[in-house]
Amino acid sequence: MTFEERTSESQLSRRRALKLFAVTGGGLIAAAQLSACSVTAAPIPLSKSGGVTDSALLQITPSNDVNFYLPRAEMGQGVFMGLTTLIAEELEVDPDRIIVHHAPVHDAYNKPGSSLQYTGGSTSLSAHFTQLRQVAANMREAIRQAAAKDLNVAVDHLDMRDGRVLHGDANYPYGRFANSASRRSMPKKVALKTASDFAVIGHDRPRLDAWEKVTGQARFGLDVDFPGLYRTALWRCPATGGKVKTVNIDKAAAISGVFKIVRIFNGVAVVAEQQWQAKQAAQLLEIEWDLPDLAQVSSPELRQAMEQAMTDDDGQNAHFAGDGAKALGRADKVLEATYWAPYLAHATMEPMNCTVRIQDGQCDIWVGSQMPDGALGMAAHHSGLPRDKVTVHSTYLGGGFGRRLSSDFVAEAVAIARASGVAVQLAWSREEDIQYDRYRPVSLVRLRAGLDRDGRIDSWTAKRVGPNVAAHFADDNLETIAPEFLPWRLSDWASKRGYWLFENLIINPASVHGLFGDYDIPNQSIRHVTVDPGLPIGYWRSVGHSFNAFFAESFIDELAYAAKQDPLAFRLVHNGHDPRMQRVLRTAARKAGWGKAPPGRFQGIAAHNAFETAVAQVVELSLVDGAVKVHKVTCAVDCGTAVNPDIIRAQMESGIVYGMTAALFGEITVDKGAVMQSNFHDYEMVRMDQAPEIGVSIVPSTAPPTGVGEPGLPPLAPALGNAIFAATGKRIRELPIAKQIEIA
Amino acid sequence: MITFSLNGQAVNTDVPPDTPLLWVVRDVFKLKGSKYGCGAGLCGACTMHVAGDAVRTCVLSVADVAGQEVTTIEGLGTRDNPHPLQQAWVEHSVPQCGYCQSGQIMSAAALLAKNPRLSDTEIADGMRGNICRCGTYGRIRQAIRSTVEKRANK
Repeated sequence: MTFEERTSESQLSRRRALKLFAVTGGGLIAAAQLSACSVTAAPIPLSKSGGVTDSALLQITPSNDVNFYLPRAEMGQGVFMGLTTLIAEELEVDPDRIIVHHAPVHDAYNKPGSSLQYTGGSTSLSAHFTQLRQVAANMREAIRQAAAKDLNVAVDHLDMRDGRVLHGDANYPYGRFANSASRRSMPKKVALKTASDFAVIGHDRPRLDAWEKVTGQARFGLDVDFPGLYRTALWRCPATGGKVKTVNIDKAAAISGVFKIVRIFNGVAVVAEQQWQAKQAAQLLEIEWDLPDLAQVSSPELRQAMEQAMTDDDGQNAHFAGDGAKALGRADKVLEATYWAPYLAHATMEPMNCTVRIQDGQCDIWVGSQMPDGALGMAAHHSGLPRDKVTVHSTYLGGGFGRRLSSDFVAEAVAIARASGVAVQLAWSREEDIQYDRYRPVSLVRLRAGLDRDGRIDSWTAKRVGPNVAAHFADDNLETIAPEFLPWRLSDWASKRGYWLFENLIINPASVHGLFGDYDIPNQSIRHVTVDPGLPIGYWRSVGHSFNAFFAESFIDELAYAAKQDPLAFRLVHNGHDPRMQRVLRTAARKAGWGKAPPGRFQGIAAHNAFETAVAQVVELSLVDGAVKVHKVTCAVDCGTAVNPDIIRAQMESGIVYGMTAALFGEITVDKGAVMQSNFHDYEMVRMDQAPEIGVSIVPSTAPPTGVGEPGLPPLAPALGNAIFAATGKRIRELPIAKQIEIA
Repeated sequence: MITFSLNGQAVNTDVPPDTPLLWVVRDVFKLKGSKYGCGAGLCGACTMHVAGDAVRTCVLSVADVAGQEVTTIEGLGTRDNPHPLQQAWVEHSVPQCGYCQSGQIMSAAALLAKNPRLSDTEIADGMRGNICRCGTYGRIRQAIRSTVEKRANK
């Protein structure tokens, strides 16, 4: 099978490049420059409904439907409401009246400023803030001009309000002028409202997707169903990357309802009439594996290898200022500490899944994806069909958190559909979801800092040891998305070298971001050593900030105590250059009653910039028979203009709970390459009885909006660790916390 | 052949009797509001009411509900005729991704039906079987509290 060979080859190229526990030297920092593609007309089926459209995002039909094609994926973070709010504001239509559709895959839906149609990096609102308001303002003006012509009145005699054209005592729905407007050219660059005129932006109302989601009507990938759809379950090697050597299907084939058993690039799949039958049968497959190099890796040895690299390897320069580490020599006091954060799974509530139908030279896939263009490329690659014969039908995502940027499960589903010849739905079990994730990378960091005689930080150095997300993402995806984002015929070259690039040449910013930059320190040296056993890793909510903020903000706390200063005051002394950070720190401290905790309560504070948003948090906890009970988290955020204040609050709450689960319980370990955790009993979550009260303050701002989906997470772990130090005198330098202290 | 009542309608099925109720409801009767989350009764996404009790249907064989009344989120209420908790969920903008919320609401509705004066501790204990990865716990608590208060004020 040529298809199988191609797949094996690409994986082998990584294996060769990987060099188990390889270490690195030399290099420069670079970020891949993505080319901007031109926006072309999107395939909105105008013939069915007619009316006026901007060709992609917005359409008003003669029957007065307002259709908005949502260009970003809704995974809980609130774009369904947030981006619709931007449209509503300038269109002068109530947000509840706008019919929101998940956009198909098309250049027109690429993220502004990018040539990819991805949802990530906490950028949806900032990237679309001007674009969508402009689209809506132009559309409103198109209707207004058409109305003026049709009614034969001057344009400035018409007011636009609540989806209606007002002329004296008369008023008309927009839709009445939709066909007329479609025959005229769309106005461009219509003046946008100033912030003081905002009537929808900045005001709260219930989420637009709430009713669907409380009545069981919202459709997720796993809910896709149609006549003739088979269910499939795949059995993979316990160590990701292993290949089938031999398989005995006799027992599996005897299960009723089993239609076919097929072998694909990474395992053997049972195709059955029902999910339950497929799952039962797959468990009866007897497979002998060709084990990958990863099968030689277990967590204790990995930790040792990382510690060895920390000692032996100088690493690559990732950031340097002043005299760097040399300045430590003249410090009044030097502090050193080593921190650790484990691999983590995403554990979205909806496990990975994809539905595929290949028929008559056409491949249709139904999937909730943070990168539907990547899913399309993956489907083309594995179906053997050209990209223009692949259609992606997007759904709601039952959680994303970065997991659904990867299309590994799409590859599997398409390969199974191709091999079996029928339409299939591949639904991962929770066990598969935890054991075959693209994990947050493991990290070991040594920090050293020098205080001067006045207790100010004079030097700050860090060395991070661990694998790089971009390397894995490149290897997973370059051959499928490269044609889109590497226009210089470099895709073939890059697909074979994606991993090597990050091992030998480029520092992956996501490996070190958040380790430096928040404080004004004259001498800095940040270095990086790549150690990677090959367990697949990926983007995990707030990426490197999720662990680097824990390291940096815990160590700042250590320095504050060493300098005998209040942790809040100590931070404020060192970030005077950053007024947003100063404001969130002061706000969180004031709201939390910093320094005035009730008897028996202990506080910890942390603040962090991520995705251009500043967030500070104060954790308040007590000890119940020596066990930690988190009562309250007080959060302040400066994310520029607050488009939907309640969604900002919700995202801070979400980041705090997700971050708390990670800090308290989260740990993925491997034994001979196989992930040892499997379900919520051994990969535990914060639950209702442990969820703290959360208060969120949004710092008023008229600056352009910045991210909220991820920045609420990074400060939680250090604020929690710092509060535990305040309560117990024990400094938390390793995650998860539950391994070191009991949690109530 | 197994017969039971699904949202007030008598239904029957000839799937293998050990098939979990969740998959029967989703794949045979095409009601997709109840979700698969863990397959082990650990997360609550599949919660339905069986004879009024909140039950994890990913680990409940369909044979075990023979002759019983099963209610899913679709049977609890609709936008036009919502259960008070669904109304409260919307007013508090509880859902984020929304995947776990059918199960959350079904668990809360069963609790509330048995005890209309739920305390915070009872909410915390009663809802700890339902995981939400988006971290909507605080809003779930508020939505249940507000429903309890509204009932108390009636």
